[in-house]
Amino acid sequence: MSIPAAATIKRVTGGSFLIEDLRPEDIFTLEDLSDVQKEIARTTVEFAEKQVQPQIPAIEEKNFEVTKGLLRRAGELGLMAIDVPEEYGGLAMDKVTSALISDKIAVCGSFSVAFSAHVGIGTLPLVWYGSAAQKEKYLAKLATGEWIASYALSEASSGSDAMNIRTQATLSSDGKHYELNGEKMWISNAGMANLFTVFAKVDGEKFSAFLIEAGTPGLTVGPEEHKLGIRGSSTCPLLLADCQVPVENLLGEVGKGHHIAFNILNVGRYKLGAAAIGGAKYAFRNGIRYAKERIAFSKPITSFGLVQEKIADSGAGIFAMESLVYRIVGAIDASLAELDKSAPNATQEIQKRIEEFAVECSIIKVWCSETLDRLVDQMLQLHGGYGYVEEYSAERSYRDARINKIFEGTNEINRLIITGWMMKRAMQGRLALLPAIQRVMDEVMAGPSPREERSGELADQHALLASAKKLSLFCAGAASQKYGAALADQQEVMGALADMIMEVLVMESTILRTEKMQGRSPLAAKMTKYYAARSFRVLETAAERVIGSVAEGDMLRTQMTIYRRLAKHDAENTVALGRDIAVAMTEAGRYTL
Amino acid sequence: MRILTLVRQVLDAEESVRIRDGEVDLNGSKLVVDTMDEYGVEQALRVRESGVEAEVIALAVGPERNQDALRTVLAMGADRAIHVMTELMLDPIFLSQVVAQVAQNENVELIFCGGQQADWDSHALGAATAERLQWPQITWTNGLEVHGQTLTGKHDAEDGSETFSVELPAVITTQQGLNEPRYPTVPNIMKAKKKELRVETLEQFHIGPKLKFLSAEVQAKTRLHKILDGKDAPAAAAELVRLLRHEARVIA
Repeated sequence: MSIPAAATIKRVTGGSFLIEDLRPEDIFTLEDLSDVQKEIARTTVEFAEKQVQPQIPAIEEKNFEVTKGLLRRAGELGLMAIDVPEEYGGLAMDKVTSALISDKIAVCGSFSVAFSAHVGIGTLPLVWYGSAAQKEKYLAKLATGEWIASYALSEASSGSDAMNIRTQATLSSDGKHYELNGEKMWISNAGMANLFTVFAKVDGEKFSAFLIEAGTPGLTVGPEEHKLGIRGSSTCPLLLADCQVPVENLLGEVGKGHHIAFNILNVGRYKLGAAAIGGAKYAFRNGIRYAKERIAFSKPITSFGLVQEKIADSGAGIFAMESLVYRIVGAIDASLAELDKSAPNATQEIQKRIEEFAVECSIIKVWCSETLDRLVDQMLQLHGGYGYVEEYSAERSYRDARINKIFEGTNEINRLIITGWMMKRAMQGRLALLPAIQRVMDEVMAGPSPREERSGELADQHALLASAKKLSLFCAGAASQKYGAALADQQEVMGALADMIMEVLVMESTILRTEKMQGRSPLAAKMTKYYAARSFRVLETAAERVIGSVAEGDMLRTQMTIYRRLAKHDAENTVALGRDIAVAMTEAGRYTL
Repeated sequence: MRILTLVRQVLDAEESVRIRDGEVDLNGSKLVVDTMDEYGVEQALRVRESGVEAEVIALAVGPERNQDALRTVLAMGADRAIHVMTELMLDPIFLSQVVAQVAQNENVELIFCGGQQADWDSHALGAATAERLQWPQITWTNGLEVHGQTLTGKHDAEDGSETFSVELPAVITTQQGLNEPRYPTVPNIMKAKKKELRVETLEQFHIGPKLKFLSAEVQAKTRLHKILDGKDAPAAAAELVRLLRHEARVIA
């Protein structure tokens, strides 16, 4: 399905944000949603608030019948068929719609994880790699929620290094079955799934994927884990002991399972970001409503500056998450827009085009999970002692948020991907990073240059953004000059560079979104300014860390001089901005624009 | 049979009302279909689904944003929609004139409308519409059956319920308990895009409201911060009773 708004969105290449400047009309924003997308969002909100929310206590007690019933209901509403092709009972809609559903359904961490694991890593491998017969057999059942899906990759001794799995698959002598042996760990939805996508190595070396139905002899689901958060979701080990899987249930090709394992992750990452928005808004609303009612020193605590500061930081965080996630998912849709979905290689082409945004997907994953984490911490803090007891939802939100920094690739792995991917693209000549670095070097060597003057309300933020891009390029240049290809071994430096790259993308997304709103939301402009100030502090810290570790003596002094020149800016009055933002949010009793 | 179901767009009950320049400011607020009207839409769809040959027409009278509400109702399953566009704030008695005209123009035989408008709370719209059309009405309906041209409706009474029957045409006003309104499913949302949403203007009706809206204000609650010294408990209690009786006048 095409969305008219996407037609104007510029087709960009992955990572290009660091070296190219876009105009507001080039990016997709939440304000560009079509009527259909808004209506689907409304249905999802109704479902989440009226049907999921009242069942949270039962969900949290691992009453999987309740969870399965709700998933079935979501299936009836069509919420699980968005990414499924029409010929298999799906709706084959755009990625913005599917992200929007992940966002709006995320009022309960446990349910959100069950839902995401099913529609994402559970269903997508089959959509992308399944044979016609496999899709015929399973896909419609998954799209309606009649069956629940689960994805089993991790093992006790292989998490981030997924290629090191030990589970083995051996073809039977009659060629009719693969026999699987091994043990999987932390498998989401395992306790209620009907279909598992299990990864194993054929003959101990060829990484491959298999579709295994629940109840297959030799497949045992172990006991539920006792988790810190998302307690209502099912997480169990899987035991495979001489498990006989028919050869027709091999997914994709032998030895090519890593494509399945890794390509799915990009989608999982942007959807995680979308779900973080929903989770954040829910926690934010509960925090504000509590704080509005809570009286201390005969005033509601929302009238105190240090409370307002938390509300402002959290609100601006939500605004930035929205700006980031929908910009990127909109860009993915734009790149998929004119694709012929009936072409024989269409699914490969879709993956290729999504993979183009791997670095943006990793940024979404890391940045949104960490912003959500800070937000739930602040919202818990607003509750004081009440935040620490189970009577209020603040502690559940706090616990539930934590997993996001771990699954879909730890934030450490993703930080390495962010910097590593950019560097790799640069070396391959696919991203003009090296000429851009050279330009910055030439510019700084030429001595102080007048600051680029922009007009408009966000002129100062544009200047900060321009500095942020230059600083990032300068630091990336300095680090690769020092370490060359061995930069990959300097994980702390890679991490600091990733922090800078992330802030550039997020800051730019907020600025462009606000400008695209053309003054319709004074609050958006305030949050953009508030966020840009914070963003630049993160950038400065990371830049100092990089420079301090790559240079010494005279070189260090020279680089610090360049750094100071590039980072020069006036301080924004974030206290006044923060108060304004907090007052508006408090008045609305929720996140508002 | 053609069924007309009235749709009003109101502020979500969870939202707080803000006033700017003497008017309710809906900018950025979450707006929804009035729950009472949703019961009417749902019931109209159920009549159609029960096997009666019927067309369900949704009607909204109000500003452009009302079309969001109409799209929701089309996605729930209404066959087509009519939007009478106006920026004026309309009272129920005037509104009933528009509804009655549309009902006649469209050859409607059955009208559903919310029993209690979330925005005016007058309970007059259904009655005024029925009066203008000289049709019977069943009010506060929380149970309804259609057999041919006969409607059987039920509503709650003090300690039980009462049941009525009327011949079509008729007006039905709804109340909580009539049904559980459905949400639009994704496939139906997509189908709704192709359904007719006809826009008319209030001017086309050659009528205007006699009641003029002047202004709105939100009652500001201020606390008096009166603290009674509790060292002498009996005296404090006596003082509290005196204040409640003579100052606040909440007890006799």
